[in-house]
Amino acid sequence: MGKDSRLILDPLADNNPITIQVLGICSALAITAELEASIVMSISVLFVLGIGNVVISLMRNIIPSKIRIIVQLIVVATLVIIVDLVLKAYAYELSKTLSVFVGLIITNCIIMGRFEAFALANSPYRSFLDGIGNALGYGVILIIVGFFRELLGSGTLLGFPVLGDPIEKTGLYAFGYENNGFMLLSPMALIVVGIIIWIQRNRNKALIED
Amino acid sequence: MEHLELFFKSIFIDNMVFATFLGMCSYLAVSKKVSTAVGLGAAVIFVLAITVPLNWLLDQYILQPGALSWLGDEYAAYDLSFLSFIMFIATIATMVQLVEIIVEKFSPSLYNSLGIFLPLIAVNCAILGGSLFMQSREIETLALALNYGVGSGIGWFLAILAIAAIREKIRYSNVPPALRGLGITFIITGLMAIGFMSFGGMLTGGEEEAKPEVKTAVIEVKKEDVKKEKATLKADLEIAENINK
Amino acid sequence: MEQRTDKNSYTIIFAIAMVLVVGVILAGLFGFTKPMITQNEEIEKQQNILYAMGINANEGTSANFVSTKEAPALFTENIKEQIVLEVKDGKILSQMTRQEYMDANNGQEPYLIDIKKQKTNAKNGMSRKLPLFVGEKDGKTFYIAPIRGKGLWDAIWGYVALDKDMVVQGAYFDHKGETPGLGANIKQRYFMDDFIGEHLVSESGVFKGITVAKGNADPKNEDKTDNEVDAIAGATITGDGVTAMIKKDLKLYLPYFETLKN
Repeated sequence: MGKDSRLILDPLADNNPITIQVLGICSALAITAELEASIVMSISVLFVLGIGNVVISLMRNIIPSKIRIIVQLIVVATLVIIVDLVLKAYAYELSKTLSVFVGLIITNCIIMGRFEAFALANSPYRSFLDGIGNALGYGVILIIVGFFRELLGSGTLLGFPVLGDPIEKTGLYAFGYENNGFMLLSPMALIVVGIIIWIQRNRNKALIED
Repeated sequence: MEHLELFFKSIFIDNMVFATFLGMCSYLAVSKKVSTAVGLGAAVIFVLAITVPLNWLLDQYILQPGALSWLGDEYAAYDLSFLSFIMFIATIATMVQLVEIIVEKFSPSLYNSLGIFLPLIAVNCAILGGSLFMQSREIETLALALNYGVGSGIGWFLAILAIAAIREKIRYSNVPPALRGLGITFIITGLMAIGFMSFGGMLTGGEEEAKPEVKTAVIEVKKEDVKKEKATLKADLEIAENINK
Repeated sequence: MEQRTDKNSYTIIFAIAMVLVVGVILAGLFGFTKPMITQNEEIEKQQNILYAMGINANEGTSANFVSTKEAPALFTENIKEQIVLEVKDGKILSQMTRQEYMDANNGQEPYLIDIKKQKTNAKNGMSRKLPLFVGEKDGKTFYIAPIRGKGLWDAIWGYVALDKDMVVQGAYFDHKGETPGLGANIKQRYFMDDFIGEHLVSESGVFKGITVAKGNADPKNEDKTDNEVDAIAGATITGDGVTAMIKKDLKLYLPYFETLKN
């Protein structure tokens, strides 16, 4: 049991998919200008990775090794398209919000990376836990980055103005505080992730590269 | 002109790594040494140059709404665009595998230098991104699609070459231990991306309709100038007349 | 186990089987959901057009459509006419009413005209069909035109409601895949509402369009005749896309609005 719980806990910190395994960076940069988008993306990845890992794990003994990458890609793409079509038919409003993420999920290398590294060699139950764990680890970083970028960049959290109104000069803005529009640009996401890595490796010296 | 513009645009302004952040994973993971970076970069150019035009053909003749009309009028109503993700991915993965087999057979030396990178490429999101951008930006001809593929590939190549060169040099610098390796690479990439953003001003200034407007503006200015000159002349004349008086 | 799955014949059989299974699943699901998706998309277009002419369920700072159930009825009630203009090289070749268009096109409503297809037609040197929806609300007449362009990642499109002097009365923008939090904010109310009251033509009658401008020192947009609205920070390319689609697509309607004046 202890072994299984590590499958979930490890990716949250010491084996984080973004800061240690270098997987799924593209989406972490693209969509973290807003906290809400980060959360939606994390949940979507949680679903796809959890279910995808189980499917690949169930198929692991019949997938020919020569074309395994194609098979994996097609499994993800099919899963995502099915969900997309069903949402479009029955929950159109929701699908409008999520449609932006469809492409990002299919091209997200965290999904391929976990298929290749874990699900192809492990039982469905353990693969499921691994998928959940990695998606959570990915989500944690996304949410941290999204939190800082939205707070410092537009002075809001989840769309609610928490620092006052920048145009009417209320709250913090009354003291001459200004939003740092720079935080909204994607390069700043790279730098925020860089700082997260710095803090994380300072706390856990074992992770330091030479 | 159209070709040249698209070419520079895809290398600098819409740089795969710095403007759209695609292909980041392999960019960060395989940029420790210049020589490996060159290998991967060359492979990306090669695969993009093959898959983008190929997927363009797929998109034009199979996937787009009404694309099947070349089969006959009764097929014109089909819309297979929901298959584009799968078709593009399948093309890319198949092409990568095919290229691997062909290169291995005919040029073992090239295979030795490129071979290990080819499997990495199938999962590089810059490749799929190239095809998806080709579709969404409605690139018009096969030649332009090839141009776009090569251009995007070169952009990616330049980016990974630059970061690999920096990482080789930075080993001699005194970076805080916890930042060494991945951390400092993230931050440098961020700074480079900010630098690349300045390319955003290129080619966006001139629009098609801008020219005649500029001309009329110039003429208007001239008219004003003429008026001003006339006014000053008048004033001068008046002054002269006053003096004469 | 390993040896069996390594065989070439097995690989090929597996690939074929998988293509078939995936193909059948997707095609079946697509065929099954298509009618519902088409209906949803039609209603969405109606909601967009109604939103642009100010018929919406806005609350506070968020942009809300009228509900999907009310939309079709409200659409037939408020949109009095759907004109289809056929243009080529900036000249109107012909003008059709809704009934004429539907008679000529198997009963397809003009608001379902595929703007993307018409753009490709125009590029290939053919004439282009431009739909224009005439709405009436509280005694005011709105002319609503669809526009379409490209953002950073993918297509962006929208509907702009104008009065007869080409002053913007309302705008709705949408996008396929702009960056959430940045370019995606073009469909936020604060951005769309900024366009209301903006002039598309200068006083001398020259078509200027509306530029999404950075740092125009007018963040509250008090000057409505400067042809500029405030850009979204960090979304330059999407903003340029909005500027371009307004300039290019609305200019096509200029000859029609000139006929309205006379």
